[in-house]
Amino acid sequence: MRHYFIRVSSVAKLSRWTMFLFRRSDANGTRFPALRELYRSFTEQNGPEARSRRLLRDWLSPEQRAQFDANNYFEVAGSHTGRRYRIQYGTLSNVVELDASGQPAIGWCFVPERPLAAGDVMLAQKIALETDEAAMLAVAHRFSPRLPSLPRVARRAY
Amino acid sequence: MATQIVMDHTGDSRHFFEQTDPKGLAEAERRFKQLTDQGFTAATRKAGSELKVTRSFDPTADETLFYPRLVGG
Repeated sequence: MRHYFIRVSSVAKLSRWTMFLFRRSDANGTRFPALRELYRSFTEQNGPEARSRRLLRDWLSPEQRAQFDANNYFEVAGSHTGRRYRIQYGTLSNVVELDASGQPAIGWCFVPERPLAAGDVMLAQKIALETDEAAMLAVAHRFSPRLPSLPRVARRAY
Repeated sequence: MATQIVMDHTGDSRHFFEQTDPKGLAEAERRFKQLTDQGFTAATRKAGSELKVTRSFDPTADETLFYPRLVGG
């Protein structure tokens, strides 16, 4: 039979720290919310979404970066056809091919085979379209970028 | 200092190496082969030039980005 010994002073220190961190009734009653706010701020700035967004902005051209900052989407030119594609912020069904007037004409759905944050997905889609458009469209699924129209109501004359 | 950036669920992982260090270069080349064998695509970017997809290790690239294979969604 084994015996484990823990120094009583270590336990006391640990419990004092725990009380310090989680005690709600400190002098101003603000310590716990402040820690929570600090944690939330840290995770927001260093979480996958924020990191992927930073990486995406870093790899966009200056024009694309300005467009992305203003509209949350950017446009790329296909490497083979020169057609314009709009990549919207998101991870699924977020690429549309634009017609000559700049309106969405065809939706293209293609995603990384592993789950990634939105910025990473968009960057992978940008590189694929700008470097090997034909191969990308060969595996992508088409969808209609327009909202389905509501059925017409036939009015009867009574 | 050159960088290999690998997209993953945390956003990305970064590996730094000196292009003048043979040991660092060998490690970077090994990582390149391992990732591309797993289906990752490698795109490189050099200062002042446009990005391109590469199938072989480029020891002169300042930044190499790896993203997973894209499939129809």
